Amino acid sequence: MKSLLATLALTTALTLPGLAMARPVTLTTTLNNYGGDGAYLALYVTDASGAYVGSLWMAGGKSKYYEHLSDWFRATGGDTAQVNGITGASVGAGRTLEITLDLADALFDAGYTLHIDAAVEDMRDSPNEVAVPLTAAGAGTAVPGRRYVASFAYDM
Amino acid sequence: MNKTLTILVASTALTAAIGVPAWSSIHRPEGRHDRAVTVLPAEGPQAMSLILASSDDDDDDDHHRRDRPRRGHDDDDHDDDDDDDDDEGGKSGGARNPAPAGTVAPPQNGLFGNGMPPKIKVN
Repeated sequence: MKSLLATLALTTALTLPGLAMARPVTLTTTLNNYGGDGAYLALYVTDASGAYVGSLWMAGGKSKYYEHLSDWFRATGGDTAQVNGITGASVGAGRTLEITLDLADALFDAGYTLHIDAAVEDMRDSPNEVAVPLTAAGAGTAVPGRRYVASFAYDM
Repeated sequence: MNKTLTILVASTALTAAIGVPAWSSIHRPEGRHDRAVTVLPAEGPQAMSLILASSDDDDDDDHHRRDRPRRGHDDDDHDDDDDDDDDEGGKSGGARNPAPAGTVAPPQNGLFGNGMPPKIKVN
C-alpha cells in the first residue's frame, strides 16, 4: 500500500510540472475591410531587450512574400524553418483568424512582447502592426492594429 | 434549219452560261495561289526569320545548356520558368515554403509546450 502511494505521489509530482509549464492560448486577429487580397501575417515574440525569440504563427504559405513582413524578415533572415509546422493560409479582409496554441507559461509576465507584421499584395507593408506585452492581466483585452488589423487579443 | 440554229444557239448559250463561271472558278484559286506565292517571298524572309530564330534559340539552349554559366537552374529557359523560380521562393534566397501546420511539429523555440498541435479557425 505504501509503495502504491509512493508511486502515485511520484507520478503526480512528475506530471504536474509538465501540465503547469504550458497552457492553451487563443490568439484572435480580426482584419479590417481594407479592400485587398488576403493578408500575410507574422506573429512572433521578442524579449525584454527587443531581441527576436521565436515565431508563433505565419499566415501565408509562400515564402517569396515574406520579405514584405519586414521586421520579421529582418529578425529571421527569412528562415522558413522558423515557421515550419506553424504556417497556415493568408487571411482575407474582414475575416477573423483564431489560433489556439499550447504556449509556455514562461512567456507571460516575463517582459515578452507579441508582434504582428502584416503585408497585402499591391498595398503598403505594415511591420509591427501590433505590439502587445504578454501579461496575464492583459489576456482578453483587445488592442487595435495600425493598418490592416482591426483588433488583436489573446485569451488563456 | 431554223430549229437547228436555235438549238445550236441555245446549247452555246447554255455552255457559255455554265462554262464561264466554271472556268472562272477553276482559275481564281490558281490566281490567288499565284498571288499568295508571289506575296509570301516578299514577306517571307521576315516571318520565317522570326520563327527560325526562335526555334534555333530554343534548340541551342537545350543543346548547350551544360556549357553556359548558370545563375539558376532555369536561367536559360523560357520566361515561364523564371516565374516558377519566383514561386519557389527565389526572392528569399531560394528558401522553400515552410511546412504547413499539422504536417510537422512546431519549431523548438521554447515558446511551445509539448501538448496539443495548433488549432486554427477562420471566420
